[in-house]
Amino acid sequence: MSWKLTKVLLSLPRLWKTLAFRLTAIYALAGMCLVFVATASLYLLLVSELEKSTSLFLQDKVHVISTMLRERPDDEDALREEVELESAARQYEHFYIRLLDQQNIPLLTTPGMEQAVDLSKLVRRTGTRHNIVVPMKGKDGRAFRVTTAIVPVGGQPTRNITVEIAIDVSQKEQFLERFRLWAWAILIAMLFVFPFVGYEIARQSIRPVEEMAATARRITSSHLGERIAAEGYPFELASLAGTFNKMLDGLEDSFERISRFSADIAHDLRTPVNNIRGEAEVALARARTIDEYRDALGSSLEETVRLSDLIGNLLFLARTESPLTHLRLEKVNVADLLEGIRDYYEASAADGGIQLASICSDEPVIAELDRTMIQRAVGNLVSNAVAHTPPGGSVLLLSSAEPASIRIEVADSGVGIPPDALPRVFDRFFRVDQSRSQASGGTGLGLSIVQGIVTLHGGKVEIASKPGQGTRVTLRMPIAR
Amino acid sequence: MKGGKQQMRILVIEDEAKTAKFLKKGLGEAGFVVDVAGDGLDGLELAKSVDFDLIILDIMLPTLDGWQVLARLRQAGRNTQVLFLTARDAVDERVRGFELGADDYLVKPFAFSELLARVRSRLRRTPTRPQDVLRMADLEIDLLRHRAVRAGQRLELTAKEFLLLTLLARRAGEVLSRTVIAEAVWDMNFDSDTNVVDVSVRRLRSKVDDPFSLKLIHTVRGSGYVLETD
Repeated sequence: MSWKLTKVLLSLPRLWKTLAFRLTAIYALAGMCLVFVATASLYLLLVSELEKSTSLFLQDKVHVISTMLRERPDDEDALREEVELESAARQYEHFYIRLLDQQNIPLLTTPGMEQAVDLSKLVRRTGTRHNIVVPMKGKDGRAFRVTTAIVPVGGQPTRNITVEIAIDVSQKEQFLERFRLWAWAILIAMLFVFPFVGYEIARQSIRPVEEMAATARRITSSHLGERIAAEGYPFELASLAGTFNKMLDGLEDSFERISRFSADIAHDLRTPVNNIRGEAEVALARARTIDEYRDALGSSLEETVRLSDLIGNLLFLARTESPLTHLRLEKVNVADLLEGIRDYYEASAADGGIQLASICSDEPVIAELDRTMIQRAVGNLVSNAVAHTPPGGSVLLLSSAEPASIRIEVADSGVGIPPDALPRVFDRFFRVDQSRSQASGGTGLGLSIVQGIVTLHGGKVEIASKPGQGTRVTLRMPIAR
Repeated sequence: MKGGKQQMRILVIEDEAKTAKFLKKGLGEAGFVVDVAGDGLDGLELAKSVDFDLIILDIMLPTLDGWQVLARLRQAGRNTQVLFLTARDAVDERVRGFELGADDYLVKPFAFSELLARVRSRLRRTPTRPQDVLRMADLEIDLLRHRAVRAGQRLELTAKEFLLLTLLARRAGEVLSRTVIAEAVWDMNFDSDTNVVDVSVRRLRSKVDDPFSLKLIHTVRGSGYVLETD
């Protein structure tokens, strides 16, 4: 038994760490305290009220007798009736009265009083303290309340009479005893009920948390589809579950992007390597003319350049995502920068029968930017726009200043982007034209790079497009940092 | 260098055998005398004992890395020009190179034509005398009057086309990569989408070469463009 107790006590610190145990313990403790305080205070109130009613009764009796002695000192019959009959007639709360003269000789005594209480003890208890209710045990162990009063006789009092009253309160005592018994029974019952109810409540409220934990444990990189079913959860936990699910959505999305990215990177690296390898193998398979060798070498060189560009772009992207990358910020006149880019792409645009123009607001737009990076970002956009705009169309470069930021827009009247592809255009290697052929141009990294550069500048990229009407990309960046 | 009386000596410190081999071959064919060292210590010893005009230094090297080679070389009081090659193009790395006294850098993978251009510009001791007129076969470029004439006919060129032609003519015989052209003509310092350069060169060609039987602008497959007579 003591060993078991020790074991329980030893495991307490560990148990205390569980939420269910804590909630149960606190709930049980609080409930028990409440019940104890309620019962105890009820009991005390009852005791004092009963005590008060007894003493009121006794005072009342003393008052009646003293009135009789004062008003009608010679009416012995009335007095006798009061002392001997009135009391004897009662079954409940028997009381006994004894009247003594000044020489302590009993004048009147309720029958059976001597058998009920030890009269000498009564005198000892109350003889010196008059008009006070004193508890006393009767001869057979029953509880009594006794009191003594000195009462003057007649209108002009010449002598006194001692009134002694004893009242049997054993029934009240029994009632209180029953009350105590019930109270203890209730307390002991609560000792079991409260922890049980508390534990149930704790378990009910913790269950969603445990379910969430179980869901979280089931989630691995290969198993990201798991979600918490939050139906019937209380509001607070439902919101937690919702947040958790949203986080999982984000994670799953990123994972998907990463794995797609890896697959794409492998594909895009494999194609040129495969070309180089195959061409070299075929060229070396038998003797060839100088021109054939030259052609094979030229082709490998082209593929290698493609590879280098891809690696360069990937490294550049990685750099835009590194928090350690420093921008070489300088004050840049955005209109001049756009004009330079327009100049660069002019030949390409003219070649494709596209009108390329840059339009700037009247006041100069000047911002702290990394010139090369912004050139690259806007260049990528213009390159895309020119590539996807049919002859006769136009590509516009716009710039304007807002209170704390600058806006650069590249708008074309080109083929546009289908709505379902729009959210993914910033993904690495994503091409609207899924055939992935190199002939369609680009590595699929252009817009990712644009986004990387603008994010690095603390800005945002927005893209809007309507198939058949054109695309508008807006770069917004802070003027200074 | 064309018509140089004494040949320039270049030291290549590079542990990757294939890279060292093509650098030696390419630079040798471009008219330089090339020595190769396969690790840092050998390279440093060679650099201290021979008076090279230029050192091409790889960063990742056995025994002594490129930084240490450069630092010890400068400690030894050698001021040989150093062009370093790095596989990482982190800005910090470049800054560190320049702080240690490097003169130029190139990020792997690089175009050989690019390297050659850098080497030549490093070793061009006397700045090319400003010329007013550039001539190549029957092409004549008047830099003062911004006019290009071929076989007596005036060529109608846009400002950028004129700049492009001038660049090619100034560095005639040298293969210019698309990146170099984009940077020199349009001040575009990024190397994506260089087919824009192809379009511009094609347009220039249609004016400079198409009407004539002798072609001056040549495409070097995978590398860039060169202006020459053969």
